[in-house]
Amino acid sequence: MKSDQLLTNTAINVDDILVKRNRDKVSQSIFFMVMMALVLWSVNVTIIKDTDWERMGSLGEVLASAGRFFGIDFSLIPNLFEPAIETFMISCLGTLLGVIICVPAIWFGALNITPFKPITYPIGRFMMTMSRSIHEIVWALFFVAVLGLGALPGIFAIAVRSVGFIAKMSAEAIEDIELGPLDAIRATGANRFQVLLFAILPQVLPQVIGVILFEWEINIRRSAILGLVGAGGLGLVFFRQMNTYNYHGVTTVILAILGIIIIGEIVSHFTRKRMI
Amino acid sequence: MMDSINKRTSPIKTTSQTKWKRFKYPDSYISYCLWISALVFIAFSIEYLNIPLSRLLGMMGRMGDILANRYYPPDIEYIMDIDYAKSILETIQMAYLGALFGLVATVPLGWFSSFNMTPSRRYVYPVARLITMSCRAVHEMIWAILFVSILGFGMFSGVLALTFFCAGFAGKLLADEIEAIDMNPVEAIRASGANLFQVMIYAVFPQIRVAFTGIAIYTWDVAFRAATVVGFFGAGGMGWYLKRNVLQIETERVTSILLSILVLVLISEILSALARDRVMRMK
Repeated sequence: MKSDQLLTNTAINVDDILVKRNRDKVSQSIFFMVMMALVLWSVNVTIIKDTDWERMGSLGEVLASAGRFFGIDFSLIPNLFEPAIETFMISCLGTLLGVIICVPAIWFGALNITPFKPITYPIGRFMMTMSRSIHEIVWALFFVAVLGLGALPGIFAIAVRSVGFIAKMSAEAIEDIELGPLDAIRATGANRFQVLLFAILPQVLPQVIGVILFEWEINIRRSAILGLVGAGGLGLVFFRQMNTYNYHGVTTVILAILGIIIIGEIVSHFTRKRMI
Repeated sequence: MMDSINKRTSPIKTTSQTKWKRFKYPDSYISYCLWISALVFIAFSIEYLNIPLSRLLGMMGRMGDILANRYYPPDIEYIMDIDYAKSILETIQMAYLGALFGLVATVPLGWFSSFNMTPSRRYVYPVARLITMSCRAVHEMIWAILFVSILGFGMFSGVLALTFFCAGFAGKLLADEIEAIDMNPVEAIRASGANLFQVMIYAVFPQIRVAFTGIAIYTWDVAFRAATVVGFFGAGGMGWYLKRNVLQIETERVTSILLSILVLVLISEILSALARDRVMRMK
């Protein structure tokens, strides 16, 4: 009797599982169908309807216009060193300034060290979201309006733009720290600032440095385009080559940008190896 | 015996305290030199870039002035327009397609450019690495300019620019993820005589499934942010409105456009946070 009941119980359970599995299958297939419909609709709207097929011409013409970019303008190379150094410096200074601006954002935005949660925590989070959601070009336009042309608005644009990522990752690292050292330092009678400096900073420093190096790599490629809105560097040369239809020159500038980024990646690789 | 214990427990006589330093003799100088060279580099680059430091003094005041006088009352009516809503929809579609195509391209790229799973370490690996790196190195705006000059204005150029950008971005993350997998299942499947694809499907894919979903959500997030400005150079979407108003110095309209971008990004961030939460729970 008892075993019979048990058997029916298990049977019911199996049925339940099968029903649930079927329901999961149905919901999954509906999900995929909706995704596919969205893809088809977007392809129809963006690619088929919105493209000027007559201007594009045949595939051969497209290949021909892409082929104009193949080749290197050797006469441009001597003129590239100075803007390349400028781009490199803008990215370094921008990252540095970004790290400085980051400090209050991290302090306010990490849940376990924020001074007064209901007010400062939303401020910190808002700083991060604001900086990440607005594109560097828009920031650069704004700072060009405030500071005038030159490298300075580029540095500020990069700094403000990199706050979001560094602050978010660092705040997450701080939220994951061990609380033991915190209590130990607090027990010695340290004030808030000393706790921050001696208990929290040493724990998160390797991660934070890794994040800063990663952001610096990204900032090199960002600073390479800020010339498009009047902030100097390789972007300005790129724009000039594009406007004079010197397609080989465009390729040369892109290769130069690639070169700087490879250098930056090598530097950050070795720094990371040394630090961690 | 007793004597030695006494010696050990006796209070330390030496009163001259050693000053503890974190770095010993050569290292201390090296760290000093590094700090000094960093400072010199900063000073030199400020000099080299001709940065007018005097402009920094009144910066905050000027910024407040400009924000209050020119940008302040956002022209909300301008963005409450059916054409603008259409351009928002176009932006979302562009980001969706770009992220999707980029992710499709990412799968082989990530596979070939992960050191442990690549079919050939000598030939395929460096090529795939180079492709991923150059896709990532070239900024999405430069991709947009290039595609606009090849294909003409329109959203197709924007989709392609975002595709290349996303492929580079997600390719690196996926390759890192594949390099971190457990190799034992791979060995087991290989020992049963599976070919490259079967190893990929039965040994690697189950391990990176959750991580790949996370990467996909993150890529969508980044692609959407890039899509809002790709139109700046004529590749469709909201960027064109932004550029037009910036060039016409219609600053109040620019403010409202920026506000709309902010709201959209916030919405997409909340949605992706929810999606990420779900994926984590599935794990």
